[in-house]
Amino acid sequence: MGKKELKVAFLLALRSLQRGSRSSVVLTVLIIAMCFTNMVFLPGLFNGIGEGIITQIVDYEVGNVMVGAKTGEQYVTDLDATLDLINSMPGVERATPHISKGATLKYRQRILGVSVKAIKPGDEKYVSPLYSKMVAGSYLGEDDTGEVIIGKPVAGDATIKQEDEFQPSLGGVRVGDSITIEYGNGYTKDYRVKGIYFTGWTSTDNNVFITWSDMEQVEGKTLDYAEYITVKAKPGYDEKFIKNELQQYGVTGYVQTTGDLLKKAMGSVMQSFAIINMVSLVVGVIITTVVLFIVITIKTINSRRQIGILKAIGVDKEVIMHTYGLQVVIMALLGICFGIILTAILAVYLAANPIVTPEWKAYLLLTPGDYITNSLILFLAAVVAGYVPAWQVSREDIQSAMRA
Amino acid sequence: MIEITDLRRIYHMGNVEVKALDGVTLTIGKGEFLGIMGASGSGKTTLLHMVGLLDQPTSGRIMIDGLDILGLTDYEKTMFRLYKLGYVFQDYALVPDLTVMENVSLPAMLRKDRTEAQVKKDSYSILEKIGLCDRRDHLPRELSGGQQQRVSIARAMVNKPDILFADEPCANLDSENSRMVLDLFHEINEEMQQTIIMVSHEDWHKEYFHRIVRLRDGKIFSDGTNGAHHH
Ligand SMILES: Nc1ncnc2c1ncn2[C@@H]1O[C@H](COP(=O)(O)OP(=O)(O)OP(=O)(O)O)[C@@H](O)[C@H]1O
Ligand SMILES: [Mg+2]
Repeated sequence: MGKKELKVAFLLALRSLQRGSRSSVVLTVLIIAMCFTNMVFLPGLFNGIGEGIITQIVDYEVGNVMVGAKTGEQYVTDLDATLDLINSMPGVERATPHISKGATLKYRQRILGVSVKAIKPGDEKYVSPLYSKMVAGSYLGEDDTGEVIIGKPVAGDATIKQEDEFQPSLGGVRVGDSITIEYGNGYTKDYRVKGIYFTGWTSTDNNVFITWSDMEQVEGKTLDYAEYITVKAKPGYDEKFIKNELQQYGVTGYVQTTGDLLKKAMGSVMQSFAIINMVSLVVGVIITTVVLFIVITIKTINSRRQIGILKAIGVDKEVIMHTYGLQVVIMALLGICFGIILTAILAVYLAANPIVTPEWKAYLLLTPGDYITNSLILFLAAVVAGYVPAWQVSREDIQSAMRA
Repeated sequence: MIEITDLRRIYHMGNVEVKALDGVTLTIGKGEFLGIMGASGSGKTTLLHMVGLLDQPTSGRIMIDGLDILGLTDYEKTMFRLYKLGYVFQDYALVPDLTVMENVSLPAMLRKDRTEAQVKKDSYSILEKIGLCDRRDHLPRELSGGQQQRVSIARAMVNKPDILFADEPCANLDSENSRMVLDLFHEINEEMQQTIIMVSHEDWHKEYFHRIVRLRDGKIFSDGTNGAHHH
């Protein structure tokens, strides 16, 4: 197959597409584009949802690595030493402790049961972007006492009547207001609301935060223990590496990476996603293959006599095969490009207008890798679907082709 | 020179044997303008297709310029057709999606011994010869039958083949257009010493042929120099 042969095959293919049935070409390209979109959209959406959830879990729940209590124990003990040890490890940006206590909030006539979390505001800043999510007032200072920051859903909205509320709230707390917190152990204290935040991560938005020293007052002792410690990795450091490091250096506690936790929490969900992705991929590929096969088969059947003539005047059967094969290649390339444009537009649109639910924000996560693999899969399927009938028709003997 | 020896082609239709060619022996010299005539079903097309390498005989031998063409591989036959033979069909058989110019250039484009510029020049000059230069960017369906047949002759001639085959090239044309085509053949034959083998069953075409071979039931019924040819 020389250059001249390929040139002739390409000319014949191109002219057939240009001057043959326009609508059949447009529809075929459209079907390929739709199949591509179908192959890319659902997995992209699932990846987007997954990625969104993972980011929020990292940001607001576990950091990159979480150190919890050893099995059978309630707390991570020897807190200061443990924090110092973790913070001294290579690759660790910062470790910060958490402890929470059930409590009842009171504001005017409203009563609300919440979990009060104690944090070290300065260190927390390195691990969680909570400080950047203030919608009113400001974030906790390191040595604040008697100050609390609360989630927007907890604060509530004064303009909405209690019976119309989506979830119970304090009915419109504003920055500077005083709220009363009554803890499970009976300790009761008034706090000034220093700020109101909204993260979009439901469990955090339904919390309130106080400083570590305030919690020590609640407990009436120095807290040298924590429920768990969240650890932020420096950029470029692997979670597993840090986990191994912590374990080797004998950090007291149960060390888990985000990945470990997600596997437990979302393993079955991810598996379902993977199955759905696989099904949509296989269906897309089969549809494309069948459609292209039919389109090219019809085309070749309708041109049998012409193929016979071409062979008669000295056009080699390989040129004939490529004439039809290349038509599929061209349509597949157009369809895939169109599909890429379509999904890119969808991705941009969904990035600007994510589908938001209380649990997650859905956008399309499409990596160049996804585009490349899906394009390749679809392209290969198209080439097979096109070249099989093209090969068959190119082998027919001149006599029977010409008499067709 | 074409030497055909005891050529047979038998078609099997179920249990029935059709002897489309039943022992044809024939020698055709270079530069001859040969007419093959005979009743419908007498085997004219079959003979033309055998000699033109479009079909394989059941038995017999065909030598073209000393080469046993039936011994060639499939690819060699294709190349032989591309370099040595030209064809004109009854229904013109142009590629409908290609322009006149593209149709004519197509066989030349495939030749390894032609540059792009040569292809263009050759196609152009042959279009000039058939008087359709101004129509070179038209599609075949935009031309009349006679014009299409002239384009198909141009396509057959662009590679300057040794032998030109034409199977009832005038069957779909009126007498005026038929004459135009036949005159074109005559001109080509005269100017380039082009061997032409043409099938026809129109009696008046005789006047163009140097020699007429008549077939009947797959056999040569008569073979003779044509005293009646006027040109
Ligand atoms: N593919 C085929 N299968 C079976 N029989 C065939 C085939 N091709 C030709 N024949 C038979 O061979 C005989 C000769 O056919 P051919 O086409 O050569 O005739 P022809 O002289 O060209 O006739 P016409 O003037 O009608 O074109 C006919 O009887 C025809 O039916
Ligand atoms: Mg015939």
